[in-house]
Amino acid sequence: MRPFTRSALRPYVCPSCRSGRLVGRRRFGSKPDQAPDVYDVVCVGGGPAGLGLLAALRASPLTSKLRVALIETQDLQKARAWSLDSQHFSNRVSSLTPSSVSFLKKIGAWEHLDTDRAQEYQEMQVWDGETDSRITFDWSADTSPFENLPTVATMTENANLVRGLLSRIAASGDENISIFSNTTVSSIENGTDHPDGPDLSAWPVLSLAPNGTAQSQLPTRIAARLLVGADGINSPVRRFADIATEGWDYNRHGVVATLSLADPDQVSFPIGTRTAYQRFLPSLGGPVALLPLPNNHATLVWSTTVENAAYLKSLSPKAFIAMVNAAFRLSMTDLKYMMRMERPANSASDYEDLHESELTWRLQHTPQASQVPPMVNGVQEGSVASFPLRFRHASTYISPRVALVGDAAHVIHPLAGQGLNLGMGDVASLSKTIEYAVDHGMDIGDILSLEKYTAERWAVNAKIGGVCDMLHKLYNVPGHGPVAWGRSLGLEIIDRLPFVKGFLMKNAEG
Amino acid sequence: MSVLRRRGALSLRELSLSTPVTVVSCRARSFSVNNRPPPKYPGHVPLNFVERGALAVGSAVGALLNPRRADLIAACGEATATPYFIYRLRDAMLSDPTGRQILRERPRITSETLPLPYLRSLPENSVGRTYAAWLDREGVSPDTRDNVQYIDDEECAYVMQRYRECHDFYHAVTGLPTFVEGEIALKAFEFLNTLIPMTGLSMFAAVRLKPAERERFFALWLPWAVRSGLASKELINVYWEKILEKDVDELRGELGIEKPPDMREIRRMIREQKKREKERLQQSA
Repeated sequence: MRPFTRSALRPYVCPSCRSGRLVGRRRFGSKPDQAPDVYDVVCVGGGPAGLGLLAALRASPLTSKLRVALIETQDLQKARAWSLDSQHFSNRVSSLTPSSVSFLKKIGAWEHLDTDRAQEYQEMQVWDGETDSRITFDWSADTSPFENLPTVATMTENANLVRGLLSRIAASGDENISIFSNTTVSSIENGTDHPDGPDLSAWPVLSLAPNGTAQSQLPTRIAARLLVGADGINSPVRRFADIATEGWDYNRHGVVATLSLADPDQVSFPIGTRTAYQRFLPSLGGPVALLPLPNNHATLVWSTTVENAAYLKSLSPKAFIAMVNAAFRLSMTDLKYMMRMERPANSASDYEDLHESELTWRLQHTPQASQVPPMVNGVQEGSVASFPLRFRHASTYISPRVALVGDAAHVIHPLAGQGLNLGMGDVASLSKTIEYAVDHGMDIGDILSLEKYTAERWAVNAKIGGVCDMLHKLYNVPGHGPVAWGRSLGLEIIDRLPFVKGFLMKNAEG
Repeated sequence: MSVLRRRGALSLRELSLSTPVTVVSCRARSFSVNNRPPPKYPGHVPLNFVERGALAVGSAVGALLNPRRADLIAACGEATATPYFIYRLRDAMLSDPTGRQILRERPRITSETLPLPYLRSLPENSVGRTYAAWLDREGVSPDTRDNVQYIDDEECAYVMQRYRECHDFYHAVTGLPTFVEGEIALKAFEFLNTLIPMTGLSMFAAVRLKPAERERFFALWLPWAVRSGLASKELINVYWEKILEKDVDELRGELGIEKPPDMREIRRMIREQKKREKERLQQSA
């Protein structure tokens, strides 16, 4: 944690006396002490978490008058103008739990989202590729048969969410708000004690630098009563606040892609019910998940070793589709073999058929699990990508005049699809904390006002992140040994005990 | 005893064909004699746990009493292969390009697919020639192999069939003869290589050996079997039909098999030595 600055420790001297005492020294100081622009909340990072916080602050009558600023390196104009036709989807998709959705509804952002592009699902099938033990998550145990099944989660493109949040913020007017897009934070340091102005020596002051196309009205230095770091895993705000993070890299990559599906074999009941599928592949380094998108599309998240991810990305579309279909159907032995299949030197067309013919042949001899996803029949061009999987957790989320939200505070394994939801939970909690501070006349940057936020969120995030980490480790033990036996037994038991399952689902929902 | 088992198996087969049943999976749920599921492949006889156990014990005892009953040894192999072992062997095949090719093409070894005259025409010291020479020396034919009937998974059934048909090639490559001493030595080698339980159970047949043979087995053949069995590659992944023209020493080197001493030769030498001793005794007497 950042050591308390000298101003916090030295005895109080009233500003007028101080200016008299220090005036001479200041005047001849080498720094051009131009007073920075002062904001109440400065948020670094314009991802879902940062924009969510801004939208939440603008939505509440208590905090809507705060002077807020948002700084984003990317061009937000592009995010505002983002649009795709109904048959194409971005490959960066997140599953929003009902509590995240209700938060977005509360702050009025949900209606700004293109909900035709969001897909709810009511059931989740999770099974172990090694032993085929299976668990089904749905709310059927808690619902009467005459009601519609409540959703387990809603799949939303991150771009759709960001655009919705931006338009929600735009709809709140442009008083007291500055959005500096295309701008980098070149440095963050403590301010100085201005002889005639405010004493900013304990305030973070950010130096801004335009990125490429310069904005004319850009102030070069802004001071923050509360600086919020929503700036991702390598958070500069966290570094400034000197908050330690612990964590490790999983040496795994998540391969993502947008896929189109064949028509399902049997009609879902009730009609319109969609299912998410996840199969753990212990020998390949992690689970593969197929999550529904509208118009019979789906998004793929395949956590696997770095070498396998590189192999998958190097495949032709046909072979990639065959591998995805195989991942949900074939045995570990077959998958391991298919992941190592050589690319023959002669021509590409032979090579494509290799994976496909292997799949067709093996399907004849592999007994199929009761519920497998419909066959994938297309992959959207250019949508296959991968990202490294890591675990990070900041030792605390607050420091005087600093708070961290989202990936800056915690990065977890995506196997439960909880990353963005934890970020939304942070935002909801932090905005409530700020509201409370404003309502009670407290300084919103004071560590005592912020305490509530870290107390509320740290343990929750550590718990979910820890569970995901534990599941990752448990489902990376290959073979049919005692570990596989134990985890399958545990899974089957949980599947048969509705109250335990309900408890877990409520926990996952946050 | 063995006659009884034979008849039992036959009646089971008749029953399974005559009763129309709807149970699909016979591994997932046990069944009684009244609702036996349909066979999964031609010749398949679905057995439940009790029947399988009885078959394993009965055939093992029968084979121990009469080691010439190849059908009992085969039945014992099938009855004891199912949990784990045959799946392991199949996965070993699936992890290997040649093994996969074999599973895909499912070749069978008979005197039709591998005509003896052709094998005899191959160059000296080639795999095919060695195989033919071994068949001729032992006076056996590849057509005496039974079909697999008690393994539920049709692919695993093929794996078992393949193991059975390749068994003679193992004999040929190691040069071990077909009488009990040679079979036990080869079975020990196979057990460490394929892990099929029946081959391990065959070690009990060592009780049938004569004391001198048993001594030789523990001093000579078993150490060889452990060494070669563990060091060599999975023999099930050898596509014998495609390497008939390869030099047999080269093949042994590739697979990591040591050539054991010639068992027939050793036995002949010992016999002669005994004869000489006897003659010497008679002369001295």
